[in-house]
Amino acid sequence: MTDERHPRLEDRLLDLGSSMAFPATPPLSALVADRLRQPPRRLWLGRPVGRALALALAATVLLVGLAAAFGLGLGGLRLIFGPAPSPLPSVVIGPGLGQPTTLAEAQETVTFSLRVPRLSGLGDPDLIYLAEPPAGGAVTLLYRERDGFPADPATNIGLIVTQFGADIAPESFEKLIDSGVRVTPAKVGGVAAWWVAGGEHFFFYRDAQGRVVDSTLRLASDTLIWEERGVTHRVEGAPSLADAIRVAESLQ
Amino acid sequence: MAEVEGRPLLEREWIESARRGDASAFEELVHRYQEIAFRTAYLIVGDADEARDAAQDGFLRAHAALGRFREGAEFRPWLLRIVANAARNRRRSAARRADLALRAFRDAASGDAAPSPEALLLAEERRGELLAAINGLRVEDRLVIALRWFLELNEEEMAAVLNCPRGTVKSRLSRASARLREAIGEVADD
Repeated sequence: MTDERHPRLEDRLLDLGSSMAFPATPPLSALVADRLRQPPRRLWLGRPVGRALALALAATVLLVGLAAAFGLGLGGLRLIFGPAPSPLPSVVIGPGLGQPTTLAEAQETVTFSLRVPRLSGLGDPDLIYLAEPPAGGAVTLLYRERDGFPADPATNIGLIVTQFGADIAPESFEKLIDSGVRVTPAKVGGVAAWWVAGGEHFFFYRDAQGRVVDSTLRLASDTLIWEERGVTHRVEGAPSLADAIRVAESLQ
Repeated sequence: MAEVEGRPLLEREWIESARRGDASAFEELVHRYQEIAFRTAYLIVGDADEARDAAQDGFLRAHAALGRFREGAEFRPWLLRIVANAARNRRRSAARRADLALRAFRDAASGDAAPSPEALLLAEERRGELLAAINGLRVEDRLVIALRWFLELNEEEMAAVLNCPRGTVKSRLSRASARLREAIGEVADD
């Protein structure tokens, strides 16, 4: 049926395509150029983002003495010591971590080179989540129980590795830690790192609008944090600092 | 447009310049691909404002990722993959599906000779029927048909946008076409 009165479906589709009404294309080249000319956004350097940020900055000032006592300061990451938020967030794995994805899609989406632990026996992550914000994306790799990495009974997760770009638009990341926590300086492949152990700690970040975003995941377990090549990393759930460093140094 | 000895810069030269930090070279790339990027995003998110933001996100991510662009690879599918991912993320964040209803202009007569008013009317009716059938398909089928026939993407580009192997593109397009034929009551001519 390919005569003039009954053209093939493909020809009809091509003809229809030539008459499709798409919305007018916006001036993306100008919009993108404007964005690229803007300096990297650092919330604590004066970008007006409203009352929420002002409150956050005030809280930072109040807590800075405590934080300074520990000498912490990662690019894109702020460790703030204070009382745990009340009520405590429930232990949930899901929305706060973003959307389930694949390694390939996560790598295509984030603006940094995603790395995966290659520690023997760990294998591939069981779940991969991609979250935005932060700008540039945050990827969380979840491992269920592995040899040497027992699962947390509440979450059934043995190990968590999180990475987010801190070089594109580093928002203010905050870690709220209640009293009794211990922070130990460490090294990951020669790079300065911190082992946050004991007590309950919560991971938050503040997006470009100054909103506090709760990563939702709370293992109440110990965490190794470091920044390397513009990417902030967290390894959570390892039974010891040595185990966490082994995972960290196996990233490829 | 940037030129060398009177000729337009080749795309790979733009890419190289952009990788070295030449913002105007990247702007040229954006200008060249902004329409296809925006329309691709629009087909995924189904909203012009969201599509603009997704395409912008995609270009910014592509800029940040230029260092990982493989030399010698095709830029357009690489870019469209990134834009499509940005669009899918926006769609997920909005927690809704793209309920895109495609529309056609009324004055899209084709052919060399001036058609009669009756022929124009008939052609218009046929386009309307076909478009209605496409809009009645599942979102996934509608997307694959629109990418192929309305944006005229090639297989590699479709695979990038759909985030699947090229073989899967063929099968998805084949299935979508079969369902469209069924919807309009047409029998495939092999």
